[in-house]
Amino acid sequence: MTIAIALQLLISGLSVGSIYALVALALVIPFKASGILNFAQGEFVTVGAYSALVLTAFGLPYWIVLPSTISIGLIIGLVIERAIIRRIMSAPEFTLVIATFAIGLIIKSAIRLYWQDNLFAIENPLPFKTFKFSGIVINPQYLWVIGCTTTLVCCLAWFFKCSPMGKAMRAVSQSQDGARLMGIHVERVLMTSWGISTAIGALGGILLAPIIGINPEIGGLILKALVAAVIGGFTSLPGAFVGGLLLGLLETYSGAFFGSTLKNLIPFVMLVVFLLVKPYGLFGKAPLVRI
Amino acid sequence: MKHQFFGRVIAALAISLLSNFANAQGVTKDEILIGGVGPITGPAAYIGLGGRDGLAMAIKEINAQGGINGRKIKLIFEDDGHSPSKALGAVKKLIDQDKAFMIFAAGGSNSTVGFIDYMKEQQKVAYVSFASAPAVTFPFNTYMFRGATTEVARYGELYSEFIADGLKAKKVAIMNGREEYPKNEGNALAKTLQDIYKVDVVARVEFNIGDKDFTPQLLDVKKSGAQVVAFFGNPAEAAIAMRQARELGIEQKFFVGATMVDKGFTNVAKENAEGATGFSLVPFLPGTQNAALQAWETKWKAEYPNLPAGRPNVFDIMAYTDMYVLAQAIKTAGADLNTQTLIANLEKIKDFSPSPLASPITFSTKHHIGNLNLTVMEVKNGEWQPIGWKPTRPSEILKRYE
Repeated sequence: MTIAIALQLLISGLSVGSIYALVALALVIPFKASGILNFAQGEFVTVGAYSALVLTAFGLPYWIVLPSTISIGLIIGLVIERAIIRRIMSAPEFTLVIATFAIGLIIKSAIRLYWQDNLFAIENPLPFKTFKFSGIVINPQYLWVIGCTTTLVCCLAWFFKCSPMGKAMRAVSQSQDGARLMGIHVERVLMTSWGISTAIGALGGILLAPIIGINPEIGGLILKALVAAVIGGFTSLPGAFVGGLLLGLLETYSGAFFGSTLKNLIPFVMLVVFLLVKPYGLFGKAPLVRI
Repeated sequence: MKHQFFGRVIAALAISLLSNFANAQGVTKDEILIGGVGPITGPAAYIGLGGRDGLAMAIKEINAQGGINGRKIKLIFEDDGHSPSKALGAVKKLIDQDKAFMIFAAGGSNSTVGFIDYMKEQQKVAYVSFASAPAVTFPFNTYMFRGATTEVARYGELYSEFIADGLKAKKVAIMNGREEYPKNEGNALAKTLQDIYKVDVVARVEFNIGDKDFTPQLLDVKKSGAQVVAFFGNPAEAAIAMRQARELGIEQKFFVGATMVDKGFTNVAKENAEGATGFSLVPFLPGTQNAALQAWETKWKAEYPNLPAGRPNVFDIMAYTDMYVLAQAIKTAGADLNTQTLIANLEKIKDFSPSPLASPITFSTKHHIGNLNLTVMEVKNGEWQPIGWKPTRPSEILKRYE
């Protein structure tokens, strides 16, 4: 393998990994706050893609469609939390997971009812035409995905470190009772965490749509996002980001070295290895137990 | 009194038996029930959705003109999910439960192969519009007909002649999906390239349906030094593979299977599709500047106003025109419509083209491969356009039936 191809694979792996990182981030945020693993997260990517499709059909420019899609994702997340999740919050964890799974299936089936499984395409103003930089072919669409994910991670880092709501989320993730005693409106925090998570999912949808087209299966990334989150550490936002990028790179390079069949196997082998050797992932921490 | 009673019972039984004899399953004096099957969910939905909608539109038009010999056509369409087992389940439901007269198969090869044996057992006609799997028509069997598409062996003949003589390639790489249609087309091309044209297949790589990364396969292709890359899969897969090929510095020409010679592919692949070649199963693709096609597209858009830019696709056209081929045979079968009369009248179809949109269809008592004619096209300025290349080597596939 030449250096040019190795670098080319690096770009390809990072762009695939950025999408995994986005969905993994969206999984980790509500999990940190409420302990609920949202199996419908992939379908929020789908919601984002179809929202962008509808808004584009109205003739809106991409720079209006982009924030509008994220806002739609946010609102849908807030509504689902308020209407469904909050009402079943006291149910066993397994019930909650099944509930999110069911929400995902409902969303996907509802989309199929109207749009069926047709393949749709939307444009974005960035060119599809690749350009060469130091011998490496670069697709502007990839740069856009990598740039958006990196910017999002920076914004989230600032949000959790500096903003009152971010601090409240961190407090709630440590102890809901403690946070409540400090005057934090825990339910509002949980609802916001869902909203942020689904908004990130919607962002993933609008970023993916021009690259692979839109159909109801566009959000079928949940398993890969779970692997990314486990590699990074399920309660760590930087972990989800790094885990996603690592998974993308791992897939791309393992495919190049070991062929396409092993490419699909290696991420799940890595998942098992991580669970055995480092169950809290690269950045996760084992919960402290007071003796 | 007693004699009268028995007389009436015998008369009633006789009438009942006679009426059963006269009316085949799914055929009444005013209706013919056709079971449709194809993938309307999943990665191959672009095939079944086009098939279902084209078929439904033709049936609506036929019924609006009074039906065929006074009988209206009723369609029940089932999803096969592009899976052989689901397709078998759907066909069993249509034949056993809904009591359909026959099956119109609007699915790909992967699902269609699932119910071929069942249709033979049931001795019911299956009219296959899209599937190229050899088992549909070879070895010959009475009940299976292949309409607008052709048999995979014919694809092999045409593809190899075009790649060897038209594109003048000496080294070819083949990328194909692991399911029925792409695998069969890859095999047919490899065999004819090597056996007839002595062209080297320098790389043969496979992928899974729905894959979104083709880097490993493309690296093998790049290493092989192939002059042409032949790709058999679905449009979404081809679009990603061609984009990644350009990124990896693979500048060779792509030749794609017939299912990708459609707007659905160029819409997603965009600039990366430029220069790709492939064979079309219909003379004009949707979007072409042709009066007959444009009139048909206007009708189609009035029927389905909310569907995406890639529709109507080639499958809409093929199912639509194939329904008219079927209607012709049903019409000539007359009032006594049953499986045997339908087969006999389908076998009389010769060079029948219900509209300029369709390639002419011919069946005989020796073979049921309706179409052997395909048109070579190339993507120019984002559109598939005919390039005028014609094959010179006569087809040998019909010799197998002699």
